[in-house]
Amino acid sequence: MNNLAAAKTTDGLVVEYVEEIIASGGMKDVYFTPDKKYVVAIFRDQSSRDALLERVEMISGRYRENIFEKEAGDYWEPLFRWPLKTLISHDDKVGILVPLYQDHFFFSYGSINGDFLNIKGREKEGKWFASPANRYKYLDKREHGDWSSYLKISIVLSRAVRRLHAAGLAHSDLSYKNVLIDPVNGNACIIDIDGLVVPGKYPPDVVGTPDFIAPEVITTSHLERDDPGRKLPSIYTDRHALSVLIYMYLLLRHPLRGDKVHDVDDPQKDEELSMGEKAIFVEHPHDSSNRIKIEYVKKSELPWKDTNNLPYTITGPYLKELFDKAFIDGLHNPAKRPTADEWEQALIKTVDLIQPCWNPGCDQKWYVFDNTKKPACPFCKTPYRGKLPMLNLYSCHTGQKFLSDNHRLMVYTEQSLFRWHINRRIIPNERLSMENRKRVGYFIFHNNSWLLVNENIPELYDCINKKAVPVGKTLLLEEGSQLLFSREPGGRLAFVQMIENRT
Amino acid sequence: MRRLPVYLLLDNSFSMKGEPIEALKEGVQLLTSTLRQDPYALETVCVSIIIFNTKAEQITPLTDLVAFQMPDIKADGVTALGEAMSLLARRVEQEVIKTTHEKKGDWKPLIFIMTDGAPTDDWKAGFNELQKIKKAMVISCAAGEGARIDVLKEISDVVVELKKADSETIKKFFKWISASVGTTSKKVDLTKKDISSFNELPPPPPEISVVP
Repeated sequence: MNNLAAAKTTDGLVVEYVEEIIASGGMKDVYFTPDKKYVVAIFRDQSSRDALLERVEMISGRYRENIFEKEAGDYWEPLFRWPLKTLISHDDKVGILVPLYQDHFFFSYGSINGDFLNIKGREKEGKWFASPANRYKYLDKREHGDWSSYLKISIVLSRAVRRLHAAGLAHSDLSYKNVLIDPVNGNACIIDIDGLVVPGKYPPDVVGTPDFIAPEVITTSHLERDDPGRKLPSIYTDRHALSVLIYMYLLLRHPLRGDKVHDVDDPQKDEELSMGEKAIFVEHPHDSSNRIKIEYVKKSELPWKDTNNLPYTITGPYLKELFDKAFIDGLHNPAKRPTADEWEQALIKTVDLIQPCWNPGCDQKWYVFDNTKKPACPFCKTPYRGKLPMLNLYSCHTGQKFLSDNHRLMVYTEQSLFRWHINRRIIPNERLSMENRKRVGYFIFHNNSWLLVNENIPELYDCINKKAVPVGKTLLLEEGSQLLFSREPGGRLAFVQMIENRT
Repeated sequence: MRRLPVYLLLDNSFSMKGEPIEALKEGVQLLTSTLRQDPYALETVCVSIIIFNTKAEQITPLTDLVAFQMPDIKADGVTALGEAMSLLARRVEQEVIKTTHEKKGDWKPLIFIMTDGAPTDDWKAGFNELQKIKKAMVISCAAGEGARIDVLKEISDVVVELKKADSETIKKFFKWISASVGTTSKKVDLTKKDISSFNELPPPPPEISVVP
């Protein structure tokens, strides 16, 4: 039996922990409290103890309060494992007290064949879900989630990063190790918050984790820390890491790991160049030099690593634009990288473009509907069949003029319509009131017609037939239908386009 | 995708008989099962085992973690460390994929040597052959007092010493190896010394000391 050790919080409480290291990260040794509800993490390097103590006190103190004790504070609790207290161990080392991860971030089933890897009960580190072999060859089917789960995870993650950045904080080491994800329920949680960087105040300890370190950080890593040319983790490098994470979760490949060789003699040097100075997007439209060569891809990595088969454009127009900004325009130009807020908005809009796959055996179950080509599921290639209404959303700006919101809604059976669809000014995020979270209508396919059932759209108006559609009634959707949802400021108008695929 | 080749050179001379050899086998098992639980290692790490007593033999060719099966190891004979190193040089030459202009090869191999005694053959000849392939990181472990630290220092980038060659300590050594193979955050002030593709070595547990 291991002994209990005691640490004291800086506000005077005693915290006991079991003196057996359960994990060792790059910076800390981690212990359980006896009830296993919390962990105690003690920093290994105590050489600049005063600075460390000051920083973690700020993180567990003021920064914590700024996020969690403000409006919508409760919303953020499950999205972060934020240090609760700063500790001083019995041998005078600085540490932190952090709540343990929620249950859904531990594997319920683990790997295939009766969990041959013995990972049941272990934490769901993102890497398990970010490569084809890990996700589909080794993990139990019940752990996979479907494509919509990864959209949901990406939204939660972008939202959490957006909140950090809004507070002027940079995580500085976003990676699949520091983000737990739960594809079964679409949850995500940022961990290892103690490395937070405050520009101009607390410099970073780590440059990041391979795969996620921004090119400029790698390129300048040979310089001394205080060299003016040295680039260290910041909000801009967080943006790079966030874009890489989203790309990997949705497409199961790394955006920069192609087959271009930069150094024949030294793999380390080659790695530095291909992730740093010479980094090129594997799907760069005008530079194919770093494509993933299909002849070197393992069978278990298909179809994901075949960029011709599953190009990044399958993620839809809103995400495509941001991937271009992240990996083409902004790869070597940090100021052009998409912000976490842009990711969140684009992902939310993308959710309105997805359709269920007709194939009941499809692993991904959902895909972004693309009517520029023959619509089909990009993953299993099953064509879309039947009639499908598409609502192009416009909203009222200055007075009476309706302008396109560059936002469309693809309808499917029993899809819900929410307040944020009928009014541009309502945004689905942490500030959304309970009232606005309730759906206001839904769509059904009945007698070969698509109908919108009005549950709570008091002002719904059919502009073509010039009649109001009261709550409780239905509205028939046809090619050219025009639906006015609301006359309030920001109220939306939808133009209906019918898509029909007979094959 | 680059693989990370891990070669284990394990001394199974007579002096390892009993508890040490059993602990060694358990240690290798622990290493491979721990690495399998790390999704990064699972995709990249390959393991090979070369044992050496009077002769050297590769009992496990470079194998990925899923296919790896623990071979039996018995202790007997003397300590042909030189032959083990020259066999290692030949196997690395053959098994580790080199990068070409068209294709990325493997990472530099990571070599762990564990021995409890003084080499009984011409270790310098073997070492010269190993040096020809050079691009590898060698970490040696002196298990017990019979090991020749001076020889190990000459052939390795890092030498560690086990305070006792009992099963608990040997297991801790393998646990430490598995931690050094996984991926973690990179510190800002990296020592610029190139230690292969893997990260800085994590600090060893108190039972293991790094020989300065």
